[in-house]
Amino acid sequence: MTKESKRRAARKGGPSPIFIWLRRSLARTIAVVAAVVVAVFFLIRLVPGDAAKMILGEYATDSDIQAMRTRLGLDFPPRDQFLRFLLQVLTSGDTGKSLVYGVSARELIFRRAPLTLLLVGLAAVLAIVAALFLALLAATHKDGPLDHMIRVLPAISLSMPVFWIGLLLILVFSVKLRIFPVGGVKEGLGGLLHGLALPAITVALSQVPSLVRSLRVQILEVLDSDFVVTLRAAGLPSRRILFRHVLRSSAIPAVMLLGVNLAYLMGGTMVIEQVFGLKGIGTLLFAAISNRDLPLIQGIALYCALAVVLVGLLTDVGAGLLDPRTRAKP
Amino acid sequence: MTYMKENYRRPEWAFLSASMVLIGVGLLLVVAACTKQPVGESTSTGGSFVYGRPASVTSLDLHKQITSNNAFAIDKIFEPLIAFDSKGVLVDWLSESHAVSPNGLTYTFVLRKGLKFSNGTPVKAQDAVFSLERHLKLGGPLAIKAKVASVTAQDERTLVIVLDTPYTPFITELSNFSNGILPKDFGGVSEEEFFKKPVGTGPFTVKAWDPAGDLTFAKNVKYWQAGKPHLDTLVYKLIQDDSQAINQLKTGEVQGIESVALENAAELAKGGTAKVLTNGSWITEQLFFNTLDKYFSDVHVRRALALSIDRAGLTKAVTFGYAEVARALLPPAIPYHANATVKALDFDLDKAKAELAQSKFPKGFSSKLLIASGSGTRAQEAQIIQAAAKTIGIDLAIEVVELAAFRQRFFAYDFSAMINSGQADSPEANSILAFQTDPQGFSKSYWTHYTNDKVTSLLYAGQGTPDGEKRASIYAELQQILADEVPYVPLYYPSILKAVRSSVEGLVVLPNNSLLFQDVVIKGK
Amino acid sequence: MIGRSPRPPLRPSGGRPKTPPLWIGCSMLVLLAVPAILAPWITPYAPGQQNLSATLLPPSRGHWLGTDQLGRDLLTRILYAARTDLSVMVLAQIIPVCTGVFLGMVAGYFGRGIDAAVTLFTDTVIAFPFYLTVIIVAFLSGSGQRGIYVTFALVGWVVYARVVRGLSATFRQQDWIAAARTLGYPDLRILLRHLLPNVLPQAIVVLMTDMAALLVAIVTLGYLGIGIMPPTPDWGTMIADGRPFLSTKWWLSALPGLAVVYTGIALSLIGDGLADRIRRT
Repeated sequence: MTKESKRRAARKGGPSPIFIWLRRSLARTIAVVAAVVVAVFFLIRLVPGDAAKMILGEYATDSDIQAMRTRLGLDFPPRDQFLRFLLQVLTSGDTGKSLVYGVSARELIFRRAPLTLLLVGLAAVLAIVAALFLALLAATHKDGPLDHMIRVLPAISLSMPVFWIGLLLILVFSVKLRIFPVGGVKEGLGGLLHGLALPAITVALSQVPSLVRSLRVQILEVLDSDFVVTLRAAGLPSRRILFRHVLRSSAIPAVMLLGVNLAYLMGGTMVIEQVFGLKGIGTLLFAAISNRDLPLIQGIALYCALAVVLVGLLTDVGAGLLDPRTRAKP
Repeated sequence: MTYMKENYRRPEWAFLSASMVLIGVGLLLVVAACTKQPVGESTSTGGSFVYGRPASVTSLDLHKQITSNNAFAIDKIFEPLIAFDSKGVLVDWLSESHAVSPNGLTYTFVLRKGLKFSNGTPVKAQDAVFSLERHLKLGGPLAIKAKVASVTAQDERTLVIVLDTPYTPFITELSNFSNGILPKDFGGVSEEEFFKKPVGTGPFTVKAWDPAGDLTFAKNVKYWQAGKPHLDTLVYKLIQDDSQAINQLKTGEVQGIESVALENAAELAKGGTAKVLTNGSWITEQLFFNTLDKYFSDVHVRRALALSIDRAGLTKAVTFGYAEVARALLPPAIPYHANATVKALDFDLDKAKAELAQSKFPKGFSSKLLIASGSGTRAQEAQIIQAAAKTIGIDLAIEVVELAAFRQRFFAYDFSAMINSGQADSPEANSILAFQTDPQGFSKSYWTHYTNDKVTSLLYAGQGTPDGEKRASIYAELQQILADEVPYVPLYYPSILKAVRSSVEGLVVLPNNSLLFQDVVIKGK
Repeated sequence: MIGRSPRPPLRPSGGRPKTPPLWIGCSMLVLLAVPAILAPWITPYAPGQQNLSATLLPPSRGHWLGTDQLGRDLLTRILYAARTDLSVMVLAQIIPVCTGVFLGMVAGYFGRGIDAAVTLFTDTVIAFPFYLTVIIVAFLSGSGQRGIYVTFALVGWVVYARVVRGLSATFRQQDWIAAARTLGYPDLRILLRHLLPNVLPQAIVVLMTDMAALLVAIVTLGYLGIGIMPPTPDWGTMIADGRPFLSTKWWLSALPGLAVVYTGIALSLIGDGLADRIRRT
């Protein structure tokens, strides 16, 4: 917020800057989600293949397939389908009944979402903690052997596809050492964490390299900056400087970068869930696309878009709270 | 910044970092240890069998299903009057005996004494009438092809079915899962409710069911085969990834897996914890031609390509000994197969070139070979065929499309050549033959549009002729014509592969890819 | 930017600091690229040359790295795959970089409405599930290499747009841009001659990491079965093809995988080296 707009708002006695920000964010959210949903709706109908053929397989008659198509409502012209779809979404937040599973799309999504969210959250925490730690080490031992090692090793996990890292971890920790299950999660919080440990580590490994790189640069800048020099001159112990001041300033870009990466992850947990046999949103999307299960695809697109935008907003809020200077201008 | 570096290098810093790492690792191990679920199986008979499958069960309405993800759950709940054993031989199942009239029009079934549904109600002939009439009325993807005039219950245990015209394959049709017996009028509940919690005579009943995930069966304590099943629960677990399935089998998180890729089977058989069960299948992997295509309408072109493919080499390279080279259409597990006797176009490059010279395109041409993605084996086959075609001057570009699009394409005849497999759903020659040779049938000869009047007349003759020498010679002649004109080139007959833990005994592999679990016992760990 | 007073160079020996990462990375790439370019002349086999009686052989004198499932020489295929993958990696970036940098500059420099529009567009693209995009593109423009180019043209520009937008917005505040505007230079000229040279170095650093990510994405698409089409050799499909043999003939997957990691490390080092260089100027 610039000083002028703050003064303007205060003088007019008008809406507070937070309200303006909220309103703007809401508008942005709606715009993005609507754009995605409409685009998905029409684009997916351009792709060849239909659910009836997937449900009935290759040995079904033309009339069977036609009957199934009518039953599933695939016969109506796209515009009619779209209007019915809009109505359904706006009144119940549900994009329809899954063509293949016969259950409401929203119910399927909500049943599976917690697992994916937990996975992403766990991975985020692991990634941030590891990245901050490594970046601090690297920055404070700049140009030393530790620094070089920390800069090169993460590049390895960056260049390894996620499914490969996952497969290797499974082979070592699940099959050979039997510490973790090969796939899926069991009951209870303990079982959940146990089953998500390897997948979360795999995802974190793919995020750490880029985080470490930018964090290291940021920390170096902060260490070099005037205010830290002043603090040292004032005689503060270096550890305190490190943890209270340096960390705080470097956390912001870490959070921002993580936010962006998480947004990418939201739509992209599919491979990880596939490799680890997790019944989350990723595998649901994969099955839905393979089966051309239109209501389910549309539902996942809707809720994923929503999640992505919300994460983006949260990141902005977080960054704003940590450092008022980075608050976006209106 | 050197002065800063020295300060930051103080011992406390190192100590701090080391302790953080240790705490992190420690926490993880503690969580792992505390929540470590015992991975292994129960030691007694009874217990739970977890079966990993690549697709979930989406519907249990037996008259409307055809795909295996649902079929092999339905056949645990509902059972037909006649069934086939692991060799494909028909045996009486719910019926204790059956008879066919000499003119082939009247079929009489006598039900076993004391048969009960899983909810305790006795099974009567009227239930069978209801089930078959519903199937006849609905049609469905596995509709009964015989022309049925009437289905009546002569008394509580006798069922009489009368046909309009003789149709020898009828008895095998009845052995299909889609002709399972359910209670009359769904036992009093609505149709929708019934198929959420179905009641049948089968060894298992549905305990819990997520259409997008796992299905848990419980033992049917009223099962008519006394003392069976031995298992307490059977779980159909959804595992979409091949590696996941195999690794879960290795660690014992599942006791068996349904879909084993041929290339993985060898590796599994070697380790001590799992074993591979095989059986002859009803499947023929084939290279199909669109006989309406500019190039492949020419029989010499098709014959030339068939002659250029080293089928034995192909089979060895992609199936690792788990398949048999195919020279005729019917797999050896189906009656009236002719793999040993047919005169096929075996690998011969010189003959291939000579054959192409006789065609309208002696200099060769370019075309496309369509396959569905997701099968490593098919991709390898396509590359072998591509290389073979190249040796005689035919340039085949490989087109890999995703399964849904693949089906759309060939249903619309939008292909020149494709690799796919033909499959029988009962131990009956007519099953594959009708699908692949009848131009009037809905599949237009498996979408090749192959039309040969002699073949068609032979096909219908075979349907009306009772089993025996005459029928055998009809089908031998039919398969010879197909081997000569090659609207499709048979490549190999893949074996059915199931991988289970070594401790599993009593599993019966059926030739339609399904399993019988009622005899299964899990011994020790 | 965090306030920083000017500091004297720290090296007691004086002179410009060397950047080993840059040189190591570049030489690694050259070490891979040269044999790949020369492949048609130096390999004894053709990449598609099958030999069904010599399948799955371990490394030997005739085949230095053994043969794959169809009897094709592995070393030849890895080199030819380098040609395919490296060229796709570079070519697929051309459009995304141009559009991303351009959109980012425009958004950051002009701000306000244009910024809002571009940001909205960027956010929408990010919110679109990636695999959905891939499938839709695969059908509308064919899968395989063409599909990869189109897919990355559609979604790959986002990361550049974001980075460049941030940089442009910051630069816009600074004196040298203000000076150019006071002098009355047209915006386009400022964009191309003043802004572009200053955002480009940072964009190139991002490019290095992004190319590594692109290579990994191609490999993952191969694992999913919708990547580069057979029989064109490609590390991704080679890894996928070798997966069933992981415990018996692990080198079929491991060696192409190693090639991918090698390339990724090389690119990463180059990116780091470049980033260091920029920071010092």
